Amino acid sequence: MSNVIELKDVWRIYNEGAEEPVYALQGVSISIRHGEYSAIVGTSGSGKSTLMNIIGCLDRPTRGTYMLDGIDIENRSDDELATIRNKTVGFVFQQFNLLGSMSALKNVMLPLVYAGIPGKERKIRAELALKEVGLENRMHHRPNELSGGQQQRVAIARAIVNKPSILLADEPTGALDSTTASEIMDLFGRLVKEGMTVILVTHDPETASRANRIIKVRDGKILEDIAMGTVS
Amino acid sequence: MNIVELLSVAWQGILSNRLRSALTVLGILIGIASVITLIGIGEGAKQEAEKQVQSLGVNLIYIRPGQVSSMGISMGQGNAPTLTYDDAVAIRENCPAVKEVAAQYSQSFQVQYGEKNTMTQVNATEPNYPDIRNFYADRGRFFTKRELDDAARVCIIGDTVANDLIGEGNPVGKQLLIRGELFDVIGVMEKKGMTQGMDMDDQIFIPLSTGYATLFGLNQVTGKTVRNILAQSKDGEDWQAQFQITNLLRLRHNIQNPEEDDFMVRTQVDIMQTAQSITGVFSLLLGATAGISLLVGGIGIMNIMLVSVTERTREIGVRKALGAKHNQILAQFVIEAVLISMTGGILGILLGVSGSHFISNIAEWPTVVTPISIILSVCVSLAIGLFFGIYPAKKAAMLDPIVALRSE
Ligand SMILES: Nc1ncnc2c1ncn2[C@@H]1O[C@H](COP(=O)(O)OP(=O)(O)OP(=O)(O)O)[C@@H](O)[C@H]1O
Ligand SMILES: [Mg+2]
Repeated sequence: MSNVIELKDVWRIYNEGAEEPVYALQGVSISIRHGEYSAIVGTSGSGKSTLMNIIGCLDRPTRGTYMLDGIDIENRSDDELATIRNKTVGFVFQQFNLLGSMSALKNVMLPLVYAGIPGKERKIRAELALKEVGLENRMHHRPNELSGGQQQRVAIARAIVNKPSILLADEPTGALDSTTASEIMDLFGRLVKEGMTVILVTHDPETASRANRIIKVRDGKILEDIAMGTVS
Repeated sequence: MNIVELLSVAWQGILSNRLRSALTVLGILIGIASVITLIGIGEGAKQEAEKQVQSLGVNLIYIRPGQVSSMGISMGQGNAPTLTYDDAVAIRENCPAVKEVAAQYSQSFQVQYGEKNTMTQVNATEPNYPDIRNFYADRGRFFTKRELDDAARVCIIGDTVANDLIGEGNPVGKQLLIRGELFDVIGVMEKKGMTQGMDMDDQIFIPLSTGYATLFGLNQVTGKTVRNILAQSKDGEDWQAQFQITNLLRLRHNIQNPEEDDFMVRTQVDIMQTAQSITGVFSLLLGATAGISLLVGGIGIMNIMLVSVTERTREIGVRKALGAKHNQILAQFVIEAVLISMTGGILGILLGVSGSHFISNIAEWPTVVTPISIILSVCVSLAIGLFFGIYPAKKAAMLDPIVALRSE
């Protein structure tokens, strides 16, 4: 299978040129094949979210190249990256990033708004996505009326609603109890079986062990990259 | 994303902070309402001035003593006894473009009827005065040529004088005393109201000859002086008439240098232009005042939009992260600003129109709301929204998604 994601010697330096530059990524190279299920692990501040942002086209490398589907990100305009974030990549943020002024349903519909999908279909698809994460009876609540775990599931529903080919999830089970976490992991497993490329960041070894590849990060570098055989 | 979609996103943005949006709308509302009202007042003043000038008469030419500077601004118009009855006769006989001439001499006198008395303007003139001024007797009649020739002691009184002195009952046939001299009332003038700052109804008309014989006396040097001469040009010949009269009077008064003219000849068009230039300045001042309040309203929009963009940085980040393009964010905020300014504009028009009516009714000041000022207001509020919304919207659209997501 071909590489969907290919990073070569990627650096991400925050505040470059300032007094205290932060070397969040220091020469990271990874290749991820289509349909692969990977877990990124590492200590806090090791650069996991930074790496996810770059893979998710939210951010650009300071140095190095990132090829997505064989095309160099550097040559893409901001608007083209916006389209990629909308159609190709689903992102579950570590801080959820839900809009407080809108209901869960409206939040999940948001990517479909920018995808130009008509209102009726938008609603049906958003409801379906919320059902997948077990939130069908909380659709009309605003995020501040939901528990942390429920908010996390809204964020997951929003990430998968536009049927992306790549799902990036930054600590998707961090706020969930073990039962719900296990349900979400089952969902991810199903998505991988359907052909989605899934990358998740986690602290939890149990969660990481569900993936078929574990990438260990420390101080902005890849420490270990272990293949684990088939998807569990 | 189509326009309906963008409108609904922008509308949600407005609703998400209702009080602030409402206050911003209020800024524009007040601006537009004052534009409509103040322009309405200015326009009303202009039309009123035109109406008054029209009501002076038809093809009227005013000849009065005094001087005109080279720039057309009257320097000293006065009661210098430079115009005589003979000038009036000469104009009638020698100016082909002139149709009618009526000389006038007026002065205030004590007028008495029975127990009552009042101070009023006595206007001694000639029988063609009503035709020239388009101002007629509506009860009884004006005096005749014959009564002028005979210096008859007849008078026609204004409506105010009739009410003040005689009250109920028909004044025609009554007798009153002007400075102790007895006059027969043969008519009452129609009601005319204020013209050029003068109450047309508060005067009494008598034949010019009677005035000289009984009230004014003759000037030792020049003979029968007059206060002014009214002339009426033939249709469309007002400039010719003005020219002929001016030349004739220079000749009669031995004036070589036009700057030394001891009289002024002004056509109705001149008077109209003066009135228009005055009301024009008035309108401009009102318009400028209103414009400033609009500018303040516009700055209010910009201010609020900037605050809103800063406050909603994270929302912008989320939208961008989920696939919103540069122009979609730009449109969202520009449309938000335009919606606010247009709402303010439309409410402002409603308030301005009703405010104008209110002022018309309460202050009895004529106001005219023209369709132009309404169309202009709509365009201006649209432009304000665009102009003051575009900068904050640009700021929003250019945010880096990663930076925006990290803001709190
Ligand atoms: N915008 C930024 N400006 C400056 N430094 C940053 C910025 N974002 C991240 N960093 C720094 O880069 C490093 C990596 O941060 P990152 O968020 O990628 O860590 P992480 O592995 O996701 O940590 P955690 O497990 O706590 O989420 C950290 O030292 C962090 O302080
Ligand atoms: Mg992180």
